[in-house]
Amino acid sequence: MAQLATASAKSGAEAKVKDAIDNMRSAAQDLHKQIIDAAAKKSGATKADIAALTEKAKSLAKSVRASIDTQQGNVAEHLNDAIKHLEATQANLSDSLKATGAGFDTSVKKVLAEARASVQRLSEAVAERRAANSAKKS
Amino acid sequence: MRNYIAAVFDDSRKAYEALHQLWDLDGGGDITVHGTGVVHRDELGLLQVDTKETHPALGTAIGVGVGALLGALAGPAGAAVGAAGGAGIGAATGGALGMVADLDRADTRQEAADETGFVLGVGQSAVIADVSEDWTTPIDICVRKLGGKVYRRPRSDIRDDAWYSPAYPYGYYLYPYEYVPPAYAF
Repeated sequence: MAQLATASAKSGAEAKVKDAIDNMRSAAQDLHKQIIDAAAKKSGATKADIAALTEKAKSLAKSVRASIDTQQGNVAEHLNDAIKHLEATQANLSDSLKATGAGFDTSVKKVLAEARASVQRLSEAVAERRAANSAKKS
Repeated sequence: MRNYIAAVFDDSRKAYEALHQLWDLDGGGDITVHGTGVVHRDELGLLQVDTKETHPALGTAIGVGVGALLGALAGPAGAAVGAAGGAGIGAATGGALGMVADLDRADTRQEAADETGFVLGVGQSAVIADVSEDWTTPIDICVRKLGGKVYRRPRSDIRDDAWYSPAYPYGYYLYPYEYVPPAYAF
């Protein structure tokens, strides 16, 4: 009975972790969408837009960091990489506030590249987790 | 297994239905989609990739990146053209068409047809995707039901191409979520 309870608690925890990675991936996808939309604004993104995006990247990096302890192997590695890219996204967003002209174009490209890379790493973590679950079932 | 796929259709609307179903398969956990894009070849043979309205510098980068990926999907011959920057294609946010790609050269098209079979014909559209799939059946069935044809190249093969540069990861030019231009919204 105790064993059953432990197994049930474990599978419940695994399900929550899976949901957490999926949710973090969705949040990173939203961040990427919002950065593209901000970059498309004809009069340029406002300081408030950039500050909100920076805050979102920061908060997402925090969530990813908090989930790493429950992960192992390649999943943890992908999550670590995602954190680095989210931190670089924050840094480049700050740079874009100070830049103008060609410098602004360069920082926008860097911001998007880093945001895209963070989604990619989270997506790879999701794929890794799904493959592991599928191997367990078969 | 990690693959780049091209699902080719004669009708652009079917391509967008396939795009939607790919993301549905991802939502159900059958596959994991890392990125997607939709490319068209018009009656004049011009290629364009649909993109969101964005900064012009990004639009150009997407056109060059997706052009290179199209080349890589066509096999080593196409990858060489893509890597040389000759495959830059139009990134259209409305209806404007881009440059003619060197991928359309008769010799390159013939080599691609021999190597992988993937050639985007005049009037056709293709969903290009970077996916992780344990088996190919879910995508094959979904595309076949819509009347399309799937071409695959393993990511590992593409990375082995002499022209591949890790500093230029093709998949990054694809949307990491389902993007449907307003003209194709259901």
